Amino acid sequence: MTAQRKSAHLGKRITPYLLVIPVFIYYLIFWVQPVLQQVIRSFLDPTTGQLSLESYRLVLTDPDFIPALRNTAIIVVISVTMEFFIALFLALIIKRDFWGASIFLFLAMLPMALPPVAVGAMWKTGLTTNGWLNSLLHYVGFLPEGEKIYWLAGSTWKMLALIIIIDAWQVIPSVMIILLAGLQNIPKELEEAGYVFGGNYFTVLRKITLPLLRPTIQTAVVLRLIAAIQIWLIVIVLVGFSRLPVLVERIVYYHEEVPRLNISPQMAAGYTMIVTVIVSLAALIYLRLSGAFSRREGG
Amino acid sequence: MSTRRQWLKILRGAQMMLFYLVVITLVFVIIGPVFFVVSLSFLSAREAYSYPLPLLPALTVRYQLTHGERGYMLSVYDRVEKEYIPVLDTDDLEKMATYMRSRLGTSVTVQDIEAQIARLQQEDPVYFTKRANLLHNYTTFFQITRDAVPSLIRSLQICALTILISLSIGGMAGYAFARYQFAGRDLLKFSALFVRMFPGIAIALPMVIILAKMGFYDRPIGLSLVYAVGNIALTVWITASIFMGIPESLEEAAEVFGATRLQAFLRITLPLALPGLAAAAMYAFLGAWNETVAALILTQFNPTFSVVVYQSLVGATGQINLAAAGGIVMAIPTVTFTYFIRRYIRQMWGGVTL
Repeated sequence: MTAQRKSAHLGKRITPYLLVIPVFIYYLIFWVQPVLQQVIRSFLDPTTGQLSLESYRLVLTDPDFIPALRNTAIIVVISVTMEFFIALFLALIIKRDFWGASIFLFLAMLPMALPPVAVGAMWKTGLTTNGWLNSLLHYVGFLPEGEKIYWLAGSTWKMLALIIIIDAWQVIPSVMIILLAGLQNIPKELEEAGYVFGGNYFTVLRKITLPLLRPTIQTAVVLRLIAAIQIWLIVIVLVGFSRLPVLVERIVYYHEEVPRLNISPQMAAGYTMIVTVIVSLAALIYLRLSGAFSRREGG
Repeated sequence: MSTRRQWLKILRGAQMMLFYLVVITLVFVIIGPVFFVVSLSFLSAREAYSYPLPLLPALTVRYQLTHGERGYMLSVYDRVEKEYIPVLDTDDLEKMATYMRSRLGTSVTVQDIEAQIARLQQEDPVYFTKRANLLHNYTTFFQITRDAVPSLIRSLQICALTILISLSIGGMAGYAFARYQFAGRDLLKFSALFVRMFPGIAIALPMVIILAKMGFYDRPIGLSLVYAVGNIALTVWITASIFMGIPESLEEAAEVFGATRLQAFLRITLPLALPGLAAAAMYAFLGAWNETVAALILTQFNPTFSVVVYQSLVGATGQINLAAAGGIVMAIPTVTFTYFIRRYIRQMWGGVTL
């Protein structure tokens, strides 16, 4: 009897481990293994197999590296800040339940949920000179007969602005939803108390609402940051390879467009490592901020 | 006092106006581009290359037929120019029917044209109307894009396999999370979150060699193994929250009545968890269906549907309306599933916490 109970107890103790072991094994084989291999390979010379920093030297001396890093940084910084402030502004205006709210939220969710290739198709058909955007501007009387706007021709800055605007179209509605959810979770009494004690709209916003919204904001911003660092498809679809280099676009370029160059494997590996390090840092900072390191009960 | 109240009233009115203005503007800004690309995908080839583009699809196409220099002169009504534009002068009726099918988006047979020509004896020119074949670009996309149909099947296979892998492995861990306290819980939580945020391309690139060794390179199973890596974390999170919502006392009651733990789970908990599990499956579907960069790297002769559409977009040599149709086919399941799991997505975006 006691032996049976003991074995039942033991069974209860090991059950959770039996249940989670597959995840750990899976992560070991399909995550730890490839990532380690990637790291090791990036430090090896592909022909001799000797320790070498050649991949990194190649990437760092690549004339497209600084532009790629700069363009990515610009997209990330401007997109994320601009999208966040506009989304916050919109969320503060909407901030309530209303008739049709659920369908509105679904619509707002759509741009982010759409497949990247569908978004690419949408803007490619829109931004070509004979596209729907010029046609629309023509019909509303903005573009006179015979005049067209060449959206996809021009300077790097114009391309960057286009990419940032498209990204904003895709992202602002969903960041707004996140903030809206956060706002609705704040007890009304707290803000009302702020007004009772003589605060105006902006002091209440600054001292009560935003601090309470902080966890939501952190999540939204970091997840956006990570996604923005890895932007590539819309860039290639709209302006093609190499015209507006960004980090992940370089990987695809060396792996898919010019895979037979001598330096291609090393270039792809080097750029991949750089993206990995940057994204991992962002993820770690986020996990640290969100308190995943501190041991909390429950969860 | 009353003026103050009036001011408040005006202020509240202004607030409401601003609110509706923002909501309506947002709806238009979001729907606009989607509407235009859908509309473009319904245009006939001729219309898709005219400028300015008609921004609404035509349900019917109006034709004018008369005698031409080489035979019969076909003109089509242009909705933008608002007049009949001559498009073809030929005596080859087969050619004319083909032209009307492929360029003008109407299903016409040679007999139809002969019937109109017969009318030419009474009246000249003859006017007639044909129903527009709205799905013309879609059928053409699948006909002329190499690999379109096989890649669609392949993508569905990949999605099914990804769901299978991430739901079985992640679901078990999710159950453990919901029901047990155990050492390593925090480690699992941390690693799942980290893996979720890890760049997919950094897994895909080294996986080329690993999958090649396993014999899975360029095969659906290979891609789904890679997609499951990121998906498992989400599945753990979703299933954990589902199982937490089902009281453990139900399982205990079943055990009192003589069921084993496994039976209790299969008979009691699993049926209750099914809707939530369906949501987790749809989520996994979305991830695998939408993904492009790993698919581009890990396939060679057997691309996924997203890769095929991507290539038709990048290599678009003027077939932009076809690429638009491909993009919309890509978007249909996404939009449908997003509708079903919109609550979960909102929670997910609102904070991925395990």
